[in-house]
Amino acid sequence: MAGIVVKGRFPRRRLVQTVATNLMRHLFQGAARSWARNAGGTAPALGSMTLLLVMSGLVGLTGFALHNLEQVEASQASLLHVYLRDSAADADIGSLQNRLTSDPRVAGVTYVTKAEALQRAQRIPGLPQLADATESNPFPASLDVQVKNIQDVAAIDASVRDDLAVDQLYPTSYDRGAYQRIQAVLLGAAVAGIAFLGLLGFVAVMVTMNSIKIAIHARRDEITIMQLVGAPRWMVRGPFVVEGAITGALAGVVAGVITFALTAAGISAASGAFSQFAPGVTVTVAGVTAAVVVLVGLGLGSGSSLISLRRHMET
Amino acid sequence: MCPVISNGEVRPTVNGQTRPIVEFRAVTRVYGSRHALDDVHLALEPGELAFLVGPSGAGKTTLLKLINREIRPTSGEVLVAGIAAHHLKASRVAELRRRVGVVFQDYKLLPRLTAIENVAFGLQVGDLRISDEEARDRSLDALEAVGLGDRGDAFPHQLSGGQQQRVAVARAVVAQPPLLIADEPTGNLDLETAWEIMDLFEDIAAWGTAVLVATHNVEIVTRLQRRVLTLVHGRLVRDQPAGQTGRMAWLASS
Repeated sequence: MAGIVVKGRFPRRRLVQTVATNLMRHLFQGAARSWARNAGGTAPALGSMTLLLVMSGLVGLTGFALHNLEQVEASQASLLHVYLRDSAADADIGSLQNRLTSDPRVAGVTYVTKAEALQRAQRIPGLPQLADATESNPFPASLDVQVKNIQDVAAIDASVRDDLAVDQLYPTSYDRGAYQRIQAVLLGAAVAGIAFLGLLGFVAVMVTMNSIKIAIHARRDEITIMQLVGAPRWMVRGPFVVEGAITGALAGVVAGVITFALTAAGISAASGAFSQFAPGVTVTVAGVTAAVVVLVGLGLGSGSSLISLRRHMET
Repeated sequence: MCPVISNGEVRPTVNGQTRPIVEFRAVTRVYGSRHALDDVHLALEPGELAFLVGPSGAGKTTLLKLINREIRPTSGEVLVAGIAAHHLKASRVAELRRRVGVVFQDYKLLPRLTAIENVAFGLQVGDLRISDEEARDRSLDALEAVGLGDRGDAFPHQLSGGQQQRVAVARAVVAQPPLLIADEPTGNLDLETAWEIMDLFEDIAAWGTAVLVATHNVEIVTRLQRRVLTLVHGRLVRDQPAGQTGRMAWLASS
């Protein structure tokens, strides 16, 4: 055993290659092998995480559509239609238009004639029949007032109701509380969606943590030996995090594909029946959502593993 | 501080004196209301082979766990190869353990790895810079040193208890640690095999590694005439130097 030890510089490239090879073996190959060995125990975690991610993707898309809907509603709610009397004099209409245009709370005023109102109505599903039912044009001329701040719509409405040019029976399109009601419904939907996802997330994290706990138990001898021979903490824990990440990534990929397929099918099926499947939801948006679902799966799997390691692995 | 050379290895010294590899200073470890170790002082020098004896529950395993920083002392200081194990952070425990080889009664070999892979595993998880070829060469050297050079490709279940323990010893020393601790290493072996393992420990100590063996085997302790540390109820009641462990040893230690 005795001899002369010659110390020389180890080629850096060779050293990097050796470290990378050992890292691959200990972190990734070991984790993949262990994951395959414990596939039966991982199945519940994979299933619950896939379900969670599919639901998350769909709820996320629904939320996106509702957000777009809310934006549309907000812009429509801040557009006040001031209906004009059929007999209103041009001078009175002009005077009202000038007053509104000069109001600092108003972004713009557009005059819509009776003929234009009729054309507009004919583009709305169901209204062409109503428009055709009578020989005369039932739709009044109006001033479409775009209010800068939605909170000022009520005040603008109050200022025009008694104007000479304004119809006394249906003076404006203002519906007190309509926008607030929509907001309340959307808020309720958002809270319910988040609570539902939170519950599903909790279940998925608990199930994944449990599967990692089982994996730790199954490999406790190997862990003990690694710890006793001086393996650094990250090397002992790393394979379990990678194992969790594999579960999460697989669940994410499956969920991403399902989310994309369901959304694309919905867009395709709805394109013949409605003008739009869900506001703002396109194939591109579905693709981005699927990618986000994969990333969330990756994070959820590795995060759950980390929590489980903190709880169940001794130093 | 100047270095001295012992069996080819450079060791740190203070004022010309070799530093102890293990040093316990007033170490107490309490579990609930029970004192597993009580005010223990000891020092183990490089190249020293010492036995740790005492009845079950005397604190032998606790003492070994303190050296390997599996537990911390309730009070006192534990210094291992220059590292203060008593306040070592969990994230730095691996640094200490790379300096301590460990042998267990139940061998703790990985059943899905061959003998040579088990030894190489101990080497490579401790140091990622070691290539497969280097790990294999060094593991083979270690297996040859313990007399198992021809059984490197055997799996643990294909080896006898004594051979498995030899593989465990090879794994413990392959990284050339300055200290080897063994907890009842002969507990599962017949007397003849136990002697073979003890011969190995003597050889290892002769090359400069300090070896601390916790054992119940009175015959081995008596015949080897090495230093004996006796624990009773957590207290180090006797520290008999090498050569003074025969039947009349009490004359020297009382």
